[in-house]
Amino acid sequence: MRDLDFTTVFILAQKELRDARRNRWFLLYAAAFAGLSLGLAALALSGAGNYGLAGFGRTSASLINLILLIVPLMGLTLGALSLAGEREKGTLLYLLAQPVTQLELLLGKFVGLALALMAAIALGFGLTGLLIGVNGGGAQVTTYLGLLLLTCLLVLVSLSLGFLLSALVQRGATAVGLALFLWLGLTIFGDLGLMGTALILRLNVDQLFALALINPLQLFKITAVFNIRQNLELLGPAGIYAIRTYGSQLLPLLIGLLTLWIIAPFLVAIQLFKRKGVL
Amino acid sequence: MNGKRLSVGLIGLLLWLSGAWGVGSGAWGVAYALLPTPHSLQSPSIPAEGLAQAIAAAAPGDLINVQGGVYSGHLLIDKPLTLIGHDWPVIDGGGEGSVVQITAPGTTVRGFLVQNSGDSLDQENTGIVVEAPNTLVEDNRFEQTLFGIYLRQANNSVVRGNLIHSKPLDVPRRGDGIRVWYSNDVLIENNTVEMGRDVVLWYSERLTVRGNVVNNGRYGLHFMYCDDAHIVQNRLTNNSVGAFLMYSRRMIMENNTVAGNRGPSGYGIGLKDMDDAIVRDNLFLDNRVGAYLDGSPREVDSIGHFQRNVFGYNDIGVEMMPAVRHNEFMGNSFVDNDEQVAIAGGGSSAANNSWTVADQGNYWSDYAGFDANGDGFGDIAYSSERLFENLVAREPNLRLFLYSPAINTLDFAAKAFPIVRPQPKLVDERPFMTPIIPSQVPALPRAAVSWWFVAAFLLLFLALGIVQLSRLRQHPYRFPQLEKQV
Amino acid sequence: MIEVTHLTRRFGKLTAVDDLSFTVKPGEAVALWGANGAGKTTAVRCLLNLIPFEGQITIAGLDVRQHSKAVRTQIGFVPQELNFHDDLTVSETVTFYGRLRKLPHGTDLTPLLTRLELIPHINKRVRDLSGGLKQRLALALALLADPPILILDEPTANLDIRAREEFLLFLHTLKQEGKTFVFSSHRLEEITALADRVLLLEAGKLVIDTPPHELERRLGWETTLHLYLPEPTIEPALQTLTHFGMPVSRNGRGVRVQVAPGKKGELLRRLHEAGIVIEDFTVE
Repeated sequence: MRDLDFTTVFILAQKELRDARRNRWFLLYAAAFAGLSLGLAALALSGAGNYGLAGFGRTSASLINLILLIVPLMGLTLGALSLAGEREKGTLLYLLAQPVTQLELLLGKFVGLALALMAAIALGFGLTGLLIGVNGGGAQVTTYLGLLLLTCLLVLVSLSLGFLLSALVQRGATAVGLALFLWLGLTIFGDLGLMGTALILRLNVDQLFALALINPLQLFKITAVFNIRQNLELLGPAGIYAIRTYGSQLLPLLIGLLTLWIIAPFLVAIQLFKRKGVL
Repeated sequence: MNGKRLSVGLIGLLLWLSGAWGVGSGAWGVAYALLPTPHSLQSPSIPAEGLAQAIAAAAPGDLINVQGGVYSGHLLIDKPLTLIGHDWPVIDGGGEGSVVQITAPGTTVRGFLVQNSGDSLDQENTGIVVEAPNTLVEDNRFEQTLFGIYLRQANNSVVRGNLIHSKPLDVPRRGDGIRVWYSNDVLIENNTVEMGRDVVLWYSERLTVRGNVVNNGRYGLHFMYCDDAHIVQNRLTNNSVGAFLMYSRRMIMENNTVAGNRGPSGYGIGLKDMDDAIVRDNLFLDNRVGAYLDGSPREVDSIGHFQRNVFGYNDIGVEMMPAVRHNEFMGNSFVDNDEQVAIAGGGSSAANNSWTVADQGNYWSDYAGFDANGDGFGDIAYSSERLFENLVAREPNLRLFLYSPAINTLDFAAKAFPIVRPQPKLVDERPFMTPIIPSQVPALPRAAVSWWFVAAFLLLFLALGIVQLSRLRQHPYRFPQLEKQV
Repeated sequence: MIEVTHLTRRFGKLTAVDDLSFTVKPGEAVALWGANGAGKTTAVRCLLNLIPFEGQITIAGLDVRQHSKAVRTQIGFVPQELNFHDDLTVSETVTFYGRLRKLPHGTDLTPLLTRLELIPHINKRVRDLSGGLKQRLALALALLADPPILILDEPTANLDIRAREEFLLFLHTLKQEGKTFVFSSHRLEEITALADRVLLLEAGKLVIDTPPHELERRLGWETTLHLYLPEPTIEPALQTLTHFGMPVSRNGRGVRVQVAPGKKGELLRRLHEAGIVIEDFTVE
């Protein structure tokens, strides 16, 4: 920590940003995110436009669904490639022979990729927001920006998890494979498993809510619903239980857990990276 | 250089847009301007300060013109008079009790700003209390009045074109914008009620409630024991509940726009023990529940009619209690509700309610069938059978997983492998291929969109800025060839 | 300048560097010599604290583990495999590493790039550079901030013979300018051209630490001779040589024997006295 130099971190982050700008996968993700969110919004708005009803409320559900699918994919795969890719190419060795600590390298890469991903998200949200504006807006522009911030948190979570995978393995392909596996687990199989468990063991509402919070994607979703509705009735008894139990503490709790999901994997990644060295 | 010019251009565009859509332009100014200005000045007018004396001096049936001014204190109108205000004369209750009390039948009060009642719910502190029949309360404004207009045993009265604000208290401590109590054949028309508690209509028959706007309250309209009421072309938005209809017969609700009602119950329309209700050509949009049915119809030989309504973008389109039966749904459009139809506690209502009437079904946005013969109806039946909804009905806790991609996977699996296909909630034999959009409904207000443009452009700037960040300080050193280029 | 004590690095069961200790004085050039797999590259990586290790390394008075960053500012490193970011141009690469090394803004890089003859290639992408150009770029990067120590891992591995000579000459000039060198190599001519001292590594162990001109003598401690003998005399020859304490073994049409320099005569004399005729011999 004593050696942490933010100029170095900035230079490395810049390099990462620049690489992202030239990375086909990143550009594809950014385009897919912007295109899909625009498409979904257009679809939702065109339907709702028939009724003189427009705005963000109509598109929120499909947006949440899209974000849950694509944003973790972006963060996980790009994060997984970050270290493992450079390690495989051999550039990692030379970088670390410079006056650069492992923490600085990891931080620089994280910050750079995070900024790149946030730029992609801002682009998607910006274009979609423009479309919503053209279609008559809606009162909830702050809610929309809230969802944007939550999406940024989600991408940081998945990036951090991707870094963890990247620090674990040698080869880029292995890391990406693991990332896809984790992505499937977080988006689909984790929830399916928990639903099955809840049905079979007849979990109480508090147990179910607590278990759901383990999955950062559920955390994001619950927070996003709360952001849009200011309550969780949409999520049934478990949502009502959450509001009743935590009240005004709920939002800080959810955000806190999401933040924990950003910091903890990153710290573990640093430890792994330090123990392993550059090989 | 190019980037800079672009930035300047974008900022200019941004400012232009802000101006064009009127950032922060007061919605109130617009609303006031919509009220017609009173204009009959045949008789000499007095300032408001002299109101009590003028009333005392007047003969029944007189017209009193009031030109501006402020009357402080309570005003009792105990003889049939016509009071016309010009330039918004003020009647100020001083923050205690009710402001105006009308006890004489045939009285007209028009064009006043009534303000500052007390705030006691027990004493029902009100802007204008009407305790006599055949009264007209028209084109007045109400500010800081706990209750706005209270008709108590005032048959055949008309409340029209008033703009009513309650006090800025917690919703339960506010009063009702309009309250109608034991008053038959009353017309409530073109009023705007905002930030009140409820609009309450109890124990009154043959009411007409037309063209009103009720926003940001608790119950937009609350009917109890009001047989033969006619509710038409009202706009009920952002209340806790749009309209709750209870214990009444033969009520007709048509051409209303009911949107964004998302309070704790959050019904667009709730029907409790309603017999022979007709609900048709309404828009129910973006409510928690579009229509909620409990014990309706109550009598065995009675039928609830739901025709050509749009239930769109609600969390639940139509929710009914399991025992609900004898409702006929025809020509309604169910558009992109998170759950189109829900039976509280699960089960199937197909046997007890009709979804196809006179060979006409409803439009379902999730209908996946086709119309080969081109008659406007799908050739195969629509059946509502999402596995997730089925699971949620059995285990409501699972609703927590709403929007999870796992749900889509689950529903897809259920379609692909019929072995896990759930029991259908309802079957519509003749689904419409296109939605039917009611035309006579009030339009929703166009929201201020400028902030959307501001936010969108800021985000695009942000993205651009991050990209530019990677170009920062890329040439700090001197190279032979680079210098040549410069 | 560099002090290595009891450096050990294991990969699983394999001990790549085994209890290695040595010191390098300022201005000295020290070569790590040995076959492939002898542990040269691993030792170099430990010097830069790129991989965890046991033992102690001090460079410029700083423990490399505690102060790896400060240590690395003192070191210019040329790796064996020249993996830079392929899509950057030469000038972009130089700028990137210059910034990482805190090279002051406004520094004129013309002299350095001129000296390494990189100027015509300054706008080429790294992926388009030949092996020799990449090697020169690597050296340019190592010299960017003018560090006192240069650590080079097989510095001429990517070069053809002519380029290798030029490169060595350049390194020699740098040495005369006072740089401290640690480099690994498996080529004798490199070592004799540049090193003040040679550390011979075998299976991770330090075998010999000597100036290069002593190397031949010390290496010649045991020369291996192949003696081609008539078949019937092979067995007696083995017995005779064993008797005189010479390590000998049977080998095809003769015997293989290890002798100290200056003792070849004695070997031949002994065999002659035993009546054994040598048909031919080769020195390994």
